[in-house]
This record gives sequence, structure tokens and C-alpha cells, in this order.
Amino acid sequence: MTSALTLAAARGPHIDWAGLSPFVSLAAGGVLVLLIGIFLGKSARNGTAILSLVSLAAFIGLSVWQFGENKSIVSDALAIDDLTLTLAFVLGATGIAAVLLSWRSKAAEVAGHPEYYALLLLSILGMLVLIATQNLVTLFVGFELLSIPLYVLCAAEFRREGSLESGLKYLIVGSVGSATLLYGLSLLYGATGSTDFSGIARAIADDGIRTDVLLLSGVGLTLVGLAFKASVAPFHQWTPDVYQGAPTPITAFMAVATKVAAFGVLLRLFDVALPGISNEWGPAVAALAAITIIVGNVGALAQTSLKRILAYSGVAQAGYLLAGVVVGTQLGAKATVFYLVIYAAMNIAAFSVVIARERASVHGDEISSFAGLGKSQPLLAWPLTVAFLGLAGIPATAGFIGKFYLIDALVSGGYAWLAIVLVVGSMISLGYYLKVIAAMWMGDPEPAAAAAAPVAAPGAPPIMAGGSQEADELVEEPQLELFAVAWLATAVIVVFGIVPQPLFELAGKAGESLVGIF
Amino acid sequence: MSTTTWGWLVLAFPLAGTILIGLGHKRLGRGPAGAIGTAAILLAFLSAVAALVSLQDHEREHRQLVSSLWDYAVTGSIDARLAILVDPLSVFMMLVITGVSTLIHLYSTSYMKSDRGNARYFAYLNFFVFSMLVLVLAANFFLLIVGWAFVGAASYLLISFWYRRETATKAGIKAFVINVVGDVGLVLGTFFILRHSGTLDFLGTFRAVEEGAFASHNGALVAGCLLLLVGAFAKSAQIPFHTWLPDAMEGPTPVSSLIHAATMVTAGVYLISRMHPLFEHAPAAADVGAIVGCVTLLVAGTIALVQTDIKRVIAYSTMSQIGYMIMGVSAGAYAAGMFHLLTHAFFKALLFMAAGSIIGAMAGAQSLDKMSGFKRSMPFTFGCFVVGGLALSGVPPFSGFFSKDEILAYVGARGDWYVVLYIAGYVGAFLTGIYTWRMIFRAFFNRPSPEAVELEHGHIAHAEFPTNPANGEREDTEVGFPGPEHVVAEREIPMKVAMGLLALGATILGALQIPFVSHVIESFLEPSFEDSTLYSSIHPSDGLVWFGMILGTVLALVGIAIAHFIWVRKPGTSAAIQARFKAVHTFLWHKWYFDELIDFLIVRPWSALGTFCRTWFETVIAEGLLIGGTTGVVKAGSQAVRTLQTGFLRYYAALLLLGGAGVVLYFLIQSS
Repeated sequence: MTSALTLAAARGPHIDWAGLSPFVSLAAGGVLVLLIGIFLGKSARNGTAILSLVSLAAFIGLSVWQFGENKSIVSDALAIDDLTLTLAFVLGATGIAAVLLSWRSKAAEVAGHPEYYALLLLSILGMLVLIATQNLVTLFVGFELLSIPLYVLCAAEFRREGSLESGLKYLIVGSVGSATLLYGLSLLYGATGSTDFSGIARAIADDGIRTDVLLLSGVGLTLVGLAFKASVAPFHQWTPDVYQGAPTPITAFMAVATKVAAFGVLLRLFDVALPGISNEWGPAVAALAAITIIVGNVGALAQTSLKRILAYSGVAQAGYLLAGVVVGTQLGAKATVFYLVIYAAMNIAAFSVVIARERASVHGDEISSFAGLGKSQPLLAWPLTVAFLGLAGIPATAGFIGKFYLIDALVSGGYAWLAIVLVVGSMISLGYYLKVIAAMWMGDPEPAAAAAAPVAAPGAPPIMAGGSQEADELVEEPQLELFAVAWLATAVIVVFGIVPQPLFELAGKAGESLVGIF
Repeated sequence: MSTTTWGWLVLAFPLAGTILIGLGHKRLGRGPAGAIGTAAILLAFLSAVAALVSLQDHEREHRQLVSSLWDYAVTGSIDARLAILVDPLSVFMMLVITGVSTLIHLYSTSYMKSDRGNARYFAYLNFFVFSMLVLVLAANFFLLIVGWAFVGAASYLLISFWYRRETATKAGIKAFVINVVGDVGLVLGTFFILRHSGTLDFLGTFRAVEEGAFASHNGALVAGCLLLLVGAFAKSAQIPFHTWLPDAMEGPTPVSSLIHAATMVTAGVYLISRMHPLFEHAPAAADVGAIVGCVTLLVAGTIALVQTDIKRVIAYSTMSQIGYMIMGVSAGAYAAGMFHLLTHAFFKALLFMAAGSIIGAMAGAQSLDKMSGFKRSMPFTFGCFVVGGLALSGVPPFSGFFSKDEILAYVGARGDWYVVLYIAGYVGAFLTGIYTWRMIFRAFFNRPSPEAVELEHGHIAHAEFPTNPANGEREDTEVGFPGPEHVVAEREIPMKVAMGLLALGATILGALQIPFVSHVIESFLEPSFEDSTLYSSIHPSDGLVWFGMILGTVLALVGIAIAHFIWVRKPGTSAAIQARFKAVHTFLWHKWYFDELIDFLIVRPWSALGTFCRTWFETVIAEGLLIGGTTGVVKAGSQAVRTLQTGFLRYYAALLLLGGAGVVLYFLIQSS
């Protein structure tokens, strides 16, 4: 046995366990949660949650340890550089927030705690692979590893019709996206003869295939595939429905983490593998960004459900983020990373308040559930206010700096018109963000009885076999973990709004690890 | 203390006032809130005076002092610092803003005393002053944008201060939207300039411009300056971004006086003066500014001739006067423009306050049709109105005479096609005389109205029930509406003091800058404009100055005489003219149809798009498919799947395919 191991060490490939350690922490965490959960029985709720938190904390710790290493591991398939690790922090933080938000949720209860948290951890692993990838094959592996657990998690509350519908819809639309992506990746390989990002870049530079049909169709299809995941218009239609139907902690997780992963891989793919043909993809991506900004912001105006508002707002924010990719410069990459960090904080803050209200009010996530919140529960109203002001880009919040940075990148990169769209989009967005804020601080709470959920006539068959349509019991006592998450995220928004320098430096390091561009 | 420390103090006091009143608004009664607010602004004013004194101790060449509190965001391409620039121009603005604000706060303590939202009012008002001071003290574009946006927000809060009046909230939204358009212009203009100058700092940018950063990118500079102008036009209510200002009169009268006459609307004038090194290198943009200012002063002057709401008449007059300033500073008459800004702040604030006093006597009604004969019952208000009116129409020796004529003399001295602007300016001056005195004659002369009679007997008229002057709707006096009591300057000491001081200023401030006699402002501001080629090189000839002064006096007096003839001597004349030139009257009455034009060109297309999107996203996708799917068609169990199969997914798939096809098609076209 020992000799076999020695032999393997001598003959086998060199394995950089240090570089792999963040991946290992998540994979091991997922497996352990699943296995140990079986033996925990009744105490599974706390046990698995704590185990997941430990695993995520280890993940963050190991990422910090590896920061600044800048190396490639697993035969150059994965890059452990500052970009990967910066986004890994965001993923880890989002993961911790998601675990805390799920802790007392119905979804985890219904689906079974071990399975729920294991899937969550595996999905984060997929995201990590996706942002670290520099190889087309690992890209697809990461993409699927991210998606499949999420399909299941969306349907985690499988006794609730909306949740099931959401999962199914996400599965079907997501599969279309995956198929498109795979098609695009295979064309890219066909055109350049390499699955390696640097190999692709070399092939484009050497062979003069800038305008090759195969290459460009491949880029187009890959772009579409990734656009699905990032909810870039016109591939965003699933977003509001899935966000609304999915259990809200999962919605929060999807809204933030999926976007981090999708933009991580977009940055790396376009700025490492394809910077040579940026003149070809630039206008197309810019057009998508513009459409996304407009569609997202206009779409959000008419919504009354907070989750749908946040879904459309997420679409609009995806447009802003995509604008940072468009310019294809290090400045653009830095601005994108910067915005991703604060985007995560703003959404986590907003979603934790939505979850708190959902569990306490008969109005669920309708705006009416938030009316008068400023008076009745200022501790919940403040985080949502700050988050929305940040999303709208009001000065003194980090959202303002983020947009400032993006506009700077756009104008310096020669996309001033897109900057105009961005600013106009933010202007429109005030319409729906302020609507919610006004309802919270100026509105009066609606009487609960007036809008009780419509109850099916007695004796009528349930709409769905085995489904339970009775209203969830409401929780009265404050749930401290929700407050903690909301206020921590709010602190991030405010602190980086006032002292953005550290975040600038972090984003700067991340952007500079994309050495192929300027 | 150093000069910049005083500058920081000027900012600190109003901020402290805002926070104090804002946090304590529940505990503070009506009195303390007003006292704290007024004291905070008074302290800021005293600090500004101290800053002035200590600035004068510096050598002439070293009067541009920058102080940075901390590096806000400094990275490769952005250098945003929390820094203020104290130089003669910003000190001048500080003095005007804090000085006039102090008086208006004082006036407000009486005017708003019965309003239930009293504390909220003073918190907003202090916040406004703070934002405005941030705007003028900013040492870089970053802080300028912050101040610019805050000022817009404060204006919104104050216009819709009486938030249960629908007209007020609508006016607030309109002002906010147009102001945000201006913000967009300012932000984008900043980036156009930042791209080549490489710094956000004002002095650094100006140096870069001098050193030729834009030598080969003059187009970018012109574009940047034009975008800055969009910001300036929106804030200063210049055509075509002016429609919010008359509606903004929905706010309480002291707000109109402070924000929509004396300070915020002059931000555009300040911006152009501050950016003069850029505009002088982009003369095309400067010319656009001058022409728009000129058009605005004429258009607004004509509209003011026919409006009947007393506050709106003054509002159009404000637009028109700011047109003079914008025209002046765009043409290079910086000192004259700032001088007019100063005198205008005094006499226009005074006119608004006097109008507020009449409105109090009229129990809230604002229509000139109902007012008449207040001369005897309100002698003090009448006196203030006359002083303000004389200053506004430019009768010597009142302040407006000197400042307006200085702008026009400078514009005339530039020669060339600026002569057209020069002539138009005097046409405007003539209109000013007519519309100003039309207002005075109608409100104060002729047979006293019932309200005036009642006041003569010692009572202030109270309407049977309070109504909204804009649409006549009945309203209560609870929070979110004006309070139940009405006040007139005749009976309130604070109002009287504030108006008296302003009247004094409106009378004598012209002495600061009398041709051939004194040039206090010009020499004070010189350090800020030392790099300007226009500032020192162009001087109107003596003949032109004399000609202008005489022409200005004659036109103003003729205007007043005509107004006297039409509205006092032969009261029927006005109706006869109206009947004779019905089309013209209708045209002016509808304010040149600007609102309708904007509605047609911008609002309707967008709302159509909005409706379209709504039907699309909402009705078709969400309601049609989600809710429509459930209406009994689909049975239990397979409902989710079924919905997906019966259209939902088909719909998605079609859109996805279309989108995907579009993207791929693009790339196919790119390939060869």
C-alpha cells in the first residue's frame, strides 16, 4: 500500500494540493454534509448548517492563503490567480449568507437538510471551477456542476407548486443554454484546434483566422450560452419566473453567486482567450448590454412583487456588469469585479429583508408587505433602503462608486454611448427603487385581513396532486440570523461607499491578473 | 484658523443643523427647529465672512486654496478626493448663499409657524443649503456631481413638501426628472473631459487644458462642454429644460424664494464661470450657452406678460434674469454675471417674500385676477415690492440697473454677432419693465379687493375652507398641507426684518460696481479668472457704457409707463389687446406650448414604449400564461408542466431562438 503510494507520487503527475485546496474544501464539505447528515437525525438542521459554514469558512481561509500565488493547476485547466480568488471570496461570503438565510427556511426542511446543503456546496464548487477555468472542457464541467444542483434547489419546496414550476422551468431553459454553450465550445475548438484559452488566443493571433466563420459562430453561440446564466436580455425571460417561484434563500443565492460565476468566466474567456478579436465581439456584446439595461429597468417598473423587482433589477445590473466586459480592457475588468462585489452585498441585504418579511407577513413579498416598515421595523427597513439606494447608484453608497468606475471604463474604452445608456438606465431605475422606499417610509401598513391569500373552495381538489396549498404559518419572533446578514451586507455597502480604497486595490489586483489585455 | 478651515466650517454648520433637526424632529417643537435651522445658517454665514477676511490676507496669486480631507477613491484613472477649493469665486458664492439663506430661514420661522411639518421643513432647508455649499465648494468634478445631485434631491423634497397636494407631488417629480437629465449631462460631460485630462481635480483639469491636453481632441472638449451645459440648463431652467421651474412654485413661498430664485437655479451660472478655462477653449459650446441664454430671456419675458398666477410671473421673470446671467458668463462677462447673480438673489428673493405676504393676505389665493388695491392695507409689502420691482426692471440707482447693464455692455463690446444678443437683451429689459409693473399695478392699485378691505379693518381674510390654489380642490390643514394660519409681513417681525434687509441690499448693492466709479467685484474675483483671456482683454468703451445706461433707463421707464397706462390709467386696455391679438395671447398663455411639445416628443413615445413593455412582459407572459393557465383549464398534478407546454415555453423558446439567431447572425456577418 505504502509502496504503491510512493510509486504514484514518483511516477504520477505532480499535484499542487495547495492550489487545489479551495476546491477540495468545498467538495469534501459537500460529501461530509451528506454523509454525516444521515447520522444526525433530528439534529440535522443545526449540524449540517454548521458543517456547511465550517466548510465555507475553510474555503475562504484557503483562498486567502493562496492569494497572490498566480499559478495554473491541473495541467493548466484551472487558474489560481487573483481574479479567481477575489471572486472566490465573494462566492464564499454569498454561500455563508445563503446557509444562514436557509437555516430556518421551509425549503431546507422539506428537501432534507443534508441534501439541501450538500447541493448548495456542490453548486458553489461548480461556480469556483467556472471562474477558475481556462480550458473549454473544464468550463463546461463547471457550468453543469453549477447548474444541476441549482435546478434541484429551485424545486426544493416540492410541495409548493410555484417552487416545482420554477425548478422545471429553470431546468428546461437552462438545458437549452447548456446545449447552446456546448455547441459554441465545440465550434471554438474546431476553429482553433485547442481547448486551452491561451492556445485559442495563440491560434487567433498566428493563423489569421480573425474572421473565420467557424470561430465567430462559436463565439456567438458561447456568448448566448453564457448569457442565459447571466440573465442577459433577450435570454432573461426565465429570470423573473424562476426567481419568484424558487425558495427565496435560493433566489438570493442564484441572483448573486450565479452572476459572479457567469461574469467571472465571461471576463476570462473574452479577455484571455478572445482579446484578439475584440473588434468583432465588442459591438455584439455592447448591444446585448444596452438591451439588457433597458429591458431590465423598464420591466421592473410595473412589478409589485419584490422578488420580481429584484429579478428585473438583477437583469439590469447584469447589463451594467456586461458593459464592463465589453470594453475588453483591464480597467473594464477591474470595474466589473468591483461592481460584482458590491452587487453581491446589495442583493444579499435586499433579499434577507425580503425573506424576513415573507416569513412574517401575509402579503408575502408584495410591496404591500413592506408598507410602513420604516415605522414598525426600522431595523429591517434600513438595510433594504440602503441596498436599494445603492442599486440605484445614489452617492455615498458603494453602488455609486461602482457605476462611476464602470462609466469611467466605458468612456476610456471608447464606448461612451453605452455609458449614456447606463446612466439613462439608472435614471429609470430610480422609478422602482424609490417606489419601494417610499412605501416603506411613507406608506401605512395594510390590514392583514384585507389581502389574505385566496383560499380554495372547501372540498375542491388540490390544484396539484400531493400539494399543500395552505398558507405557511407566520413567524412572529425576530430571526436574528436574517438581521445579522442584512446588516453585515449593509455595512459593506456603506463602508465601501465611504472608503472604497481597499476594494479598489483588490479589484485592481484581480483585473491585473488578466495579463493579455491592457 | 486657516482659510480652508473656515471653508469646512461653512459646510459643517448646515450639515449639523440638518442632522440635529432631522434626528430630533419629534422632540423639537415648532419654535426650536426654526431657531436651530436659522442659527446654523447664520453661523455658516459668519464662517463665510471669516473665510473672506482670511482669504484677503493671502497674496493675490495665492488665493486658490485646496484642502483635501481624505482620498475618497484614488486609483489609476480616477482621483476623487473629498476636497474643497476656496477661492474668490467660491467665497463669493458662499457669501451669497449663506447670506440670503439666513434671511430666508428667518422669514420662514414666521411663514411656516403653523405648519405641522415645521421641523421637517427646516431639516430639508438646511440640507438644501448644505448641498448647495458642497456644489460651490467642490474642488473636483466628483464632489461637484455629488453636490449637484443632492441639490436636485433637496429641491424635490421641498417642492413636494406639501405632499398631500397632488399638484405639488407632480411638480416635484417633474423637477426631479428634468434635474436628473441634467445630472446625466454633467456626469457624462465629466467623463468626456476626464478621459483626456486624466484628472478630476478642477485646477489640474484647467492646467491640462492650458497645456494642450485637448489640442488634438477639441471635439471631445466641445462635446464635454455641451454636456456640462445640459446640466447647467436643467438646473438653471433654461430652454428647453425650463418647464419644471414654473411648476416648482407649488412649494412653500420661502422655498421659491431661496431655491428657485436666489440659489439653486444660479448653479448653472456658477458652473459655466467655474469651467471658464474649458469653455474658452471650446468657443462653440460657449456660443451655444450665450444663444440659449438669450432665447430664454426673451421667451420667458413674453410668457411673464400674460400669466396670472403671481408666483409664476415671478418664476418666469427668474428664468429670464438667469438667461441674462447665462448669456453673460457664456460670452465671458464673468464678473458682470456674478454681479447680477448677487443683485438678483436679493431683489428676487425680496419679490417672492413680498408675494408670500400678499398670498397670506389673500388666504392662499395666488391669482392676480383676484388681487387689487393692497397699497393702503399693506404699505410695507408694497414698499418692498416697489423696491424689488425697480431693481428688477433696471431703474437707476437700484442694484439691478448696474448689474444688467454691465452684462449687456460687455456682450455689446464683444462685437461681431454678439450685437444681436445685445439688442435682444435690451428688448428683454423693456419686457421686464412691463411685466414687473403689470404685477405691481394689478396687485396694489385700483379698487381694493374684498381681502384688502378686510385687512384695512385689521383682519386677515380666511377662506371658508382652505383650497389648493392650483386646482381649487378643497384640502385640510393637517400634516402634508399648509397650516391653517396665514401671515403677512405687516404683522410678523421676522418677516419684516428679513424683507427689510433684502430691500436694503436690493437698493444699495449696485454701488459695488458702478461704471467709472467702483469695481469691487471685478477686482475681488480676478484671482479666480486670472487665466482667462476674456476677463482682462475686453472692456466696453466709455461711449458704449453711457449709451447702455441711458438706453436701459429709458426702456425701463417706458415699460413702466406702458404698464401704468394699460393697468391703471385705462384698465380696459388689457382686455382689448387680448381680444385683438387672441392668437398671440393664447400662444403665450400656453407658454409657447413647451410642455405640450415635450409631452409629444418625449413623454408619449416613452409611455407608449412602457405600455408596450408592460403588456408584453406582464399581460402576455406573467398574467396571460401564469394566471391564465390556471383558470380551470389545467388539472391537478401536471399543472406546472402543462403551463410550460401550452405556450409558456413555446413563447420563451421563440424569443430565445430569435435572440440567439440575432447574435449568431451578427457574428456570421462579421466573418468573411
